[in-house]
Amino acid sequence: MTTTLLEKPELETSEQQFATFYVGDMLLGIDIRQVQEINREFEVTLVPHAPDYVRGVINLRGDVASVINLSTILGLPEVELAKESRNLIANYQNESVGFVVDRISDIVTLRSDQIAPQSSSINGVEGKYFSGVFAMETEILVILNIEEVLSGNCTD
Amino acid sequence: MDDELLADFMVEANEHLADIENQFLAIESSGADVDVDLVNEVFRGVHSIKGAAGFLGMKVVNDLAHSLENILNMMRNLELTPTSEIIDTMLKAADQLQGLIDDIQNSNDIDVSQHITALEAIASGSVASPATATPESVETPQEQTPAVDDIDLEKQFEEALAARQAEQTQEDPEEPQPESPAASAPAAKANDTKKITTAPEASIRVPVGVLDKLMNLAGELVLGRNQLMQAVASSEKIGLDAIASRLDQVTSEVQASIMQTRMQAIGSVFSKFPRIVRDLSGKLGKECDLNITGKEVEVDKTIIEAIGDPLTHLIRNSVDHGVEMPADRLRAKKPEAGTMNLRACYQAGKVRIEIEDDGAGIDPNKLKGKAVEKGVITQEQADHMSDREAVRLIFHPGFSMAAKVTEVSGRGVGMDVVRTNIVKLGGTVDVESVVGSGTNIVITLPLTLAIIPSLIVQSNNDRFAIPQVNISELVRIKSSELESRIGRIKNSEVLRLRGDLLPLVRLEDVLSKTSASEANEEQTDESNQNNSRAVNILVLDTGQQRFGIVVDALHDSEEIVVKPLGRHLESCPCLSGATILGDGHVALILDVAGIAAHEQINSVEEEDAMELEDQLSNESEKERQYLLLFSNQESEHFAVSMDVISRIDRIRTDQIDSVGGQELVQFRNSTMSLMRLENCITAKDATLAERLNVIVFEVNGKEVGLVTPRLEDIREVTTAIDTETFRERGVIGSMVLEDQTTRFIDLFEIAEVAHPEWFVNREVVVEQDDQPPLILLAEDSNFFRKQVTTMFEERGYRVVGCEDGLVAWETLQSGQHEFDIIVTDIEMPNMNGFELADRVKQSSEWGHLPVIALTSLGGAADVQRGIEVGIDDYQVKMDRDKLLASLQNFAGTKAGNNRVLQTT
Repeated sequence: MTTTLLEKPELETSEQQFATFYVGDMLLGIDIRQVQEINREFEVTLVPHAPDYVRGVINLRGDVASVINLSTILGLPEVELAKESRNLIANYQNESVGFVVDRISDIVTLRSDQIAPQSSSINGVEGKYFSGVFAMETEILVILNIEEVLSGNCTD
Repeated sequence: MDDELLADFMVEANEHLADIENQFLAIESSGADVDVDLVNEVFRGVHSIKGAAGFLGMKVVNDLAHSLENILNMMRNLELTPTSEIIDTMLKAADQLQGLIDDIQNSNDIDVSQHITALEAIASGSVASPATATPESVETPQEQTPAVDDIDLEKQFEEALAARQAEQTQEDPEEPQPESPAASAPAAKANDTKKITTAPEASIRVPVGVLDKLMNLAGELVLGRNQLMQAVASSEKIGLDAIASRLDQVTSEVQASIMQTRMQAIGSVFSKFPRIVRDLSGKLGKECDLNITGKEVEVDKTIIEAIGDPLTHLIRNSVDHGVEMPADRLRAKKPEAGTMNLRACYQAGKVRIEIEDDGAGIDPNKLKGKAVEKGVITQEQADHMSDREAVRLIFHPGFSMAAKVTEVSGRGVGMDVVRTNIVKLGGTVDVESVVGSGTNIVITLPLTLAIIPSLIVQSNNDRFAIPQVNISELVRIKSSELESRIGRIKNSEVLRLRGDLLPLVRLEDVLSKTSASEANEEQTDESNQNNSRAVNILVLDTGQQRFGIVVDALHDSEEIVVKPLGRHLESCPCLSGATILGDGHVALILDVAGIAAHEQINSVEEEDAMELEDQLSNESEKERQYLLLFSNQESEHFAVSMDVISRIDRIRTDQIDSVGGQELVQFRNSTMSLMRLENCITAKDATLAERLNVIVFEVNGKEVGLVTPRLEDIREVTTAIDTETFRERGVIGSMVLEDQTTRFIDLFEIAEVAHPEWFVNREVVVEQDDQPPLILLAEDSNFFRKQVTTMFEERGYRVVGCEDGLVAWETLQSGQHEFDIIVTDIEMPNMNGFELADRVKQSSEWGHLPVIALTSLGGAADVQRGIEVGIDDYQVKMDRDKLLASLQNFAGTKAGNNRVLQTT
């Protein structure tokens, strides 16, 4: 029995952990290895002439990190900051970028064969921002394609 | 192939090649007196490149190095005397070698046969004619190198080793490592210890002393932290102050030491210039010596990397345009060979680099001509430009100073690019030149870019950092001065600063609007309204543009650590980075050049402003007047001469009494009659605010006031006055100031219109039957001559007008007229008023004639001088009342003895 348990992940594909969170009503997930920290630092310094999806910059322990409104990029209605709002700092290409999310949810462990590819849009959000979906018991977890999200060429 | 091995090879080969140019040049300069040690050193470098290349299968590199090595071998064996031609070929080969190594992956596909053939030709040619052998070099070698015998042994050993390794290449790729370092060690020592390697992965050499110091400091930091933790843990918090100051000190030292690790000797940039100067002067048929001082001056690595290109350009320029051809130099009694000095030194926390040549210098007049021809400046600007300013034209974009386009420079890009690059580094560049004796270009650069002294400013609630290097001064303008100091040209604001007009922007607007062209209109009105309180203005200088920026508040100046902005914010045009302030908040660093570009402030606009200023005040040296500008209503602008104004009072509207259709104001226990412009001339009704200004002037010893709702400015202007378009009683003429038609008011005529009864008694000055007095009037301004003539003639005088003192003098001498009095302007071309008066008073014939001088504003010095030359009276041009009184006085008593003037 032990052998089967051990072998299974090897035979199948590797397991991945996802940090999941809500933006609006959407449950989104990103690879946990890309998450650097989660904080409540919302006191941003506004940046003049910045693209509209950039909320501002914060002092992240001596470094300057951009904070991004995920909802703007995804074309979702802008959400007010609330008690549960969090700043999720992702590390992408050696740069710290903060995402404003409405609520942090669980950490979900998935095998890659459990993730269905997704190319069409979901809830009006363009499919190019997703690298896959996973049907949970009650809702759908959408895995974000962070490269595309941060590429800066959002079409709105 | 093993990439790591290849990378090592490149690093090492670059170290060998780094100084090879200068070594070749040294070999060349010692000529037949071969410095064997030096040749040996180069030989070893080339040899180890050859060995390693052979081992790595870099056949082309191997072949080329081999050919070079052959020549060097012959030189050190004194079989070949280095000549310029040989060194030329060798330099080219070395360049090719460098090129191969820079692109090592493709090196085997490159054809170098041309270099090899050339080198072989030298080798074989020299065998036929062996060089006259000089026994042993007497020169002391600069570097300590092993004895020659050792080298031969070493070489043999290496060759054997290389041969053996070549066989086992596939099995043991680690093997060559011991070989190369062994060979390179002495050569590396010979090089400047701190060289930037252009290796794939940038690395840097740090003196061990600096590392040791850093280590010590790290120890102290840990100690400080421990103390701090203890102190915080203890309930009394004892000694926190001491610990804090200790930590502060250690941190500063750590910062300084870490900065030091980035410091590189500027010599690594300078070292390539001897070759450049040699090649270029050879190509141009010139002779040129380059003296370098201050190689040891250290600046930040980033600056070292960025300064190379601009310096190269300047050096090439100096050789190409600065130093003359040998024949020309001899003719100018200068030594045949030009001298260039390249100097670096520390100056006031900055690095100063000078590039000086003893060449022909820059001819400011030629530059001006060129600039006018190219439309860079107008002829008028050129006329006013000082020589020093003119020489600076070489930095103007699109301006090439080459008289003819040469291969070397003069392609229309150049000095402005140099300047832009230097300014980008936070530096400045300036040029001084003396025609015939040379040019000196001075560059100043900051020592580092990582930490910059900045001023923290505030706009709305956000704080921003502006690098000190861009700030030339701070100006605070009191609310009462706003109107006079901040003007408006077309749609943009300007700041009046010591006679200059500077474009003015508001930080708030810069940061809010998306581009300068948009939203200009809405902004302007608003910002005008905001003008009610004092403003702080920073005068910024990008090196190319100078402009003012209005900020809401000024804070401390701080040394800030520059942090990059994320990639999403790279496109923000006005920001160059961010920093973290003492309170932990992020402040953005403003990019001054970016703001200038964003706001479309360019030198052209500045020139527009200059031009405008010219129109207003500088147009010519002749007639200038101070005018008070005011407006009745938005669209109606008027001017009066300051000369006739006694003072300006501010009164409340309710102080005005209306008595018998006349407006009066009680003032200092007397009553002053008020006039309104709209009652005297064609003008719209004034909208009166609660308080208004009254221009007070004197008519017949009575004070009269003109109501002026809005005062705008006091301005020094030339009198380019259109006397036709708006001519009516009370209006002298009109002019265009700042795009607005402004009517020039004659206060006395206004008074006459308003109160004709004051003037009835003075209508006739002379009796009809008698010959009226004849006035000689010397006045160079057409406008004033006409004005004064009309004024005199209205009073019955006869006037002969002359356009300057000389004409007046000649008229006087011609004897056509018998003058009774002379009225002269002071400032005139050809002969001024003083000279005219002097001549008149010196002469026996006319010495008795009274002379009245006219001035714009009587200066005490002028009056003194006037008295010395015998001028009888001074009168202000526009003050017709007094002028006429004076005229009457002199014409009546001195000249008109035989005439009875009706002086009612």
